[in-house]
Amino acid sequence: MADIISIAKSIFENQKAEMIIGYAKATKEGRTRPVVVRTLDEVKELVLNSFCLNNLSTYLTRKENKGKRVAIVAKGCDIKAIVQLIAENQIRRENVYVVGVKCSGVRRGFEGHDSTKIAEKCITCNVKTPHLFDELVEMKGEELPGTDEKAESIVKLEQMTANERFAYWEEQFERCIKCYACRQICPLCYCERCIADKSMPRWIETSPTKRGNFAWNIVRAFHLSGRCIGCNECERVCPAGIPLSLINRKMAKVAKSEFGYESGMDPNAPTLIGTYDVKDKEDFIR
Amino acid sequence: MMRIGVFVCHCGENIGKTVDCPKIAKEAVKLPNVVYSIDYKYMCSDPGQNMIKQAILEHKLNAVVVASCSPHMHEKTFRKACAAAGLNPYMCEIANIREHCSWVHDNVEEATKKALDLIRMTVERVKFNYPLSEIRVPVTRRALVIGGGIAGIQATLDIAGAGFKVILVEKEPSIGGHMSQLSETFPTLDCSQCILTPRMVEVYQHPNVKLYTYSEVENVEGFIGNFKVTIRKKARSIKESLCTGCGLCVQKCPIKKAPSEFDEGLANRPAIYVPFPQAVPNIPVIDRTVCTYFKTGKCQLCKKVCGRDAIDYDQKDELVTEDVGAIIVATGYKLYKIDKKARDSLVKGYGEYGYGKYKDVIDGLQFERLASASGPTSGEILRPSDKKQPKKVVFIQCVGSRDPSKGFEYCSKICCMYTAKHAMLYKHKVHDGEAYVFYMDIRAGGKGYEEFVRRAIEEDRVKYIRGRVSRIYEKRGKYIVKGEDTLSGVPVEIEADMVVLATAIVAQPEAPKLAQTLGIPYDKYGFYAEVHPKLRPVESSSGGIFLAGACQSPKDIPESVAMASAAASKALVLFGNEMLEREPIVAKVNENTCVGCFYCKKVCAYNAIELKEIRDKKGNLVKVIASVNTGLCQGCGTCNATCPSKSIELIGFNDEQIYYQIKAL
Amino acid sequence: MSDSKFEPKIMAFVCNWCTYTGADLAGTSRMKYQSNVRMIRVPCTGRIDPMFIIKAFESGADGVLVSGCHPGDCHYTAGNFHARRRWILFRQLLKFVGIDDDRVFFSWVSASEGKKWVDVINEITDTVRTKGPFVNYQNLNKEFTLNG
Repeated sequence: MADIISIAKSIFENQKAEMIIGYAKATKEGRTRPVVVRTLDEVKELVLNSFCLNNLSTYLTRKENKGKRVAIVAKGCDIKAIVQLIAENQIRRENVYVVGVKCSGVRRGFEGHDSTKIAEKCITCNVKTPHLFDELVEMKGEELPGTDEKAESIVKLEQMTANERFAYWEEQFERCIKCYACRQICPLCYCERCIADKSMPRWIETSPTKRGNFAWNIVRAFHLSGRCIGCNECERVCPAGIPLSLINRKMAKVAKSEFGYESGMDPNAPTLIGTYDVKDKEDFIR
Repeated sequence: MMRIGVFVCHCGENIGKTVDCPKIAKEAVKLPNVVYSIDYKYMCSDPGQNMIKQAILEHKLNAVVVASCSPHMHEKTFRKACAAAGLNPYMCEIANIREHCSWVHDNVEEATKKALDLIRMTVERVKFNYPLSEIRVPVTRRALVIGGGIAGIQATLDIAGAGFKVILVEKEPSIGGHMSQLSETFPTLDCSQCILTPRMVEVYQHPNVKLYTYSEVENVEGFIGNFKVTIRKKARSIKESLCTGCGLCVQKCPIKKAPSEFDEGLANRPAIYVPFPQAVPNIPVIDRTVCTYFKTGKCQLCKKVCGRDAIDYDQKDELVTEDVGAIIVATGYKLYKIDKKARDSLVKGYGEYGYGKYKDVIDGLQFERLASASGPTSGEILRPSDKKQPKKVVFIQCVGSRDPSKGFEYCSKICCMYTAKHAMLYKHKVHDGEAYVFYMDIRAGGKGYEEFVRRAIEEDRVKYIRGRVSRIYEKRGKYIVKGEDTLSGVPVEIEADMVVLATAIVAQPEAPKLAQTLGIPYDKYGFYAEVHPKLRPVESSSGGIFLAGACQSPKDIPESVAMASAAASKALVLFGNEMLEREPIVAKVNENTCVGCFYCKKVCAYNAIELKEIRDKKGNLVKVIASVNTGLCQGCGTCNATCPSKSIELIGFNDEQIYYQIKAL
Repeated sequence: MSDSKFEPKIMAFVCNWCTYTGADLAGTSRMKYQSNVRMIRVPCTGRIDPMFIIKAFESGADGVLVSGCHPGDCHYTAGNFHARRRWILFRQLLKFVGIDDDRVFFSWVSASEGKKWVDVINEITDTVRTKGPFVNYQNLNKEFTLNG
């Protein structure tokens, strides 16, 4: 299997794409940064290692990239987002050249930030070999330790009383400063005008009040229900440290248990919202 | 600047008794932007409407809230009044303080508080209303009539007679419905077929009528004025265009023992059959479930004798589509078969009457066939079991009707009359016979009806016993009918030779399915619901779909015919114009913010979301977004709730209107 | 806050064709029920946005009801099917953040079920009254009032 640089070269040489979205070395050792490579000369910047945590697919829907022929370096988890974007008419399959990464797991954070543990999303990953790609590249990685603590936290929350759960989330959401980093990084938050920015009417208060924060976080989670592919980027970028993955994963769990649905697997499969089954469960409806 | 007027209706005492109307009128004027408020005895009356009109002009109102009855009742009235005063009708909103307040609450303080809340919420909402104008759509001036019984026939002939094309769909091989099975009709005792068959023939020969028998409506798309209907023509196994109706195939068919549907199982028919001699069209059908050829691959006798080579064993169901502007549903009724296990949990059944177990315990339609000159006994009243003339016949009314504990709560309406008729016909045919009728009450409202029942009692000496029958059992060839005479308070026991049960009229078992196909509501019994029980009794709540006959509730022939003509006239009203004006409650896309995820398209049941390309000045494609076909959009708003960025909104029920209504809680 | 005089505020979002008409029927039949409910009419349950429920709580509702046509009876063919799927997800989300089934209610009430409407309203009003004011959410609101 070729390495990322020779793959990138051949993409340009064979004019498979106008640009390549990939990872580059960051200024600090033990970090990577997203990079857009447009010429053969720049190709040497590309790297691929276990610090490639970011989900780059979020850049596919950026205005400047829309409609262009773009190549992207994407791990299986990132490809789920690409699948979802195709299913939601945001990108066309033929416009995106997917360099799928065979991946054994990435690090939870950069050097000095949990970099010795495996990212939680990798523990339950079912797409270590990508499920949609144009070309494969292998990421060399080492066995990383780590447990899925969030799965336990979800169960713990489920077992709490409603009041306890409310108190828990009240405390978490209180820290929200409405920076919307969670939204900006999310590959599936591609709306040009988010409902949070809608002013007529203002469904979600702009100032970071308890009430506005609660509304925002519920709406964010709901809009991603049945869509979120679990890349966990929102939680990673949240400056307030709100455990957003708990909610996201809870909703993915619901989608699975109620509908047997998993997002991001098949671009041609019907989406969860937008379809229905006459036999959908309704034991909660009077 | 909004200048809102609030008009509080007392509705006589209906609202005024539990809601302090003068007080809420005084309070309402204190609400922001409300510049005028008044209460009046009857807002919907002429003087009431004039008050609104005058206030609009005098106080320069640009929005109106009427606190009154349900918007389903008078929203149109008040919007019209506003329009008459030059205010856009969609600037008028209703606060329902009658059905949802004064009628359901006793406490004046609570009801008044609630009424004021409802007004406040509506005032907040109306601030975000904006003037709208009707959408105009073309009307296809052809009608579809579903069901070829007397109601469907009448509606068909009326519309066809007015010069418009009608498509009549009947699921049985022949039109005619239940009326074709009847012997004589009350209260005149004229022969049912004698009055019906000429109309059936008229339908068949009418140049404006396209008849689909042995066919069912499979799918309906579209909306008032513009329906696309898919009809399943079931395989008759006969090439209709070749068949002359000579009947040779029917005579030669070796299968003779299939129970005749037309004769209610009292006689048999062949596998290839015409349901009854006067059938329209007079074209046979092969019952594939009993035909030897379809079961064993051998026989083909009918094909051999057919001189026209009209038999087609390979015929398949065929789907045809028709464009129509109006639909009349006239699917009729069924008799409740009490031997069968109740088809739903609504009824417990009447096993104690032995229907299905005793051959001589029959239902009303079976008696019609016995009494009919064209029936299995040529009109002689004979027991099905031994073909002997019964000398004592007991008729039992309300079997399944008016019985909340074991049957249906409703009255089947026609049984009092047909039982009187049955008893009378029996007495006319068996002069030395005795007829008993068990009844709960005699309901003989209708022209000549009471007189008819009296005649049965007084002239024909039918013995009426007020009471219910508890049990019927067989003893030495007789049926012991045990009941009670509640007037004299004594138990009654009659040794009958035959028992006729006036079983309840029930909706067609497939009625809910058709309702779902058509998108019309039905009640818990499966009868179709009219949009207003008094003032719009023949309209369903879906525009352009009308109801006729017993599919709406039990009905006799004159009523069914009257309803059918009414439904036909409703369709003709629709056909009176080439264009139809529709409420402008449709979805609208914000082209600036739509990103074309097309979740709206996924949830739209009407295919009303189309793709639209947005290009820049140079013609480069910027994005592909959603766009609403306002002809197809029905205004449900599912897209609005689904859209994550709220880039599609339902006009008339948009986010702002609802947001501020909620906020005013 | 266990004020014995506590009267819950119930906000109901109902579809025009079934539940609203069913409530009309309760009225025309002069059935009686508790007066705590304030109803907002929308064309179809499909139109009912989860935002409505959030906004109702922000506006001080102690309980919210969402009601429409029975499955298969939707005036718009499938609006209630889409709504149901949305509710299955949204209800679980609400539960997960601590808003339980005794605050948000769902029902199918047809145009002929005036009696059911009465029962549903009485039942949920009693439930919410027993439960007490939605202090949790109202505390979120409080801060907002202070900040203006």
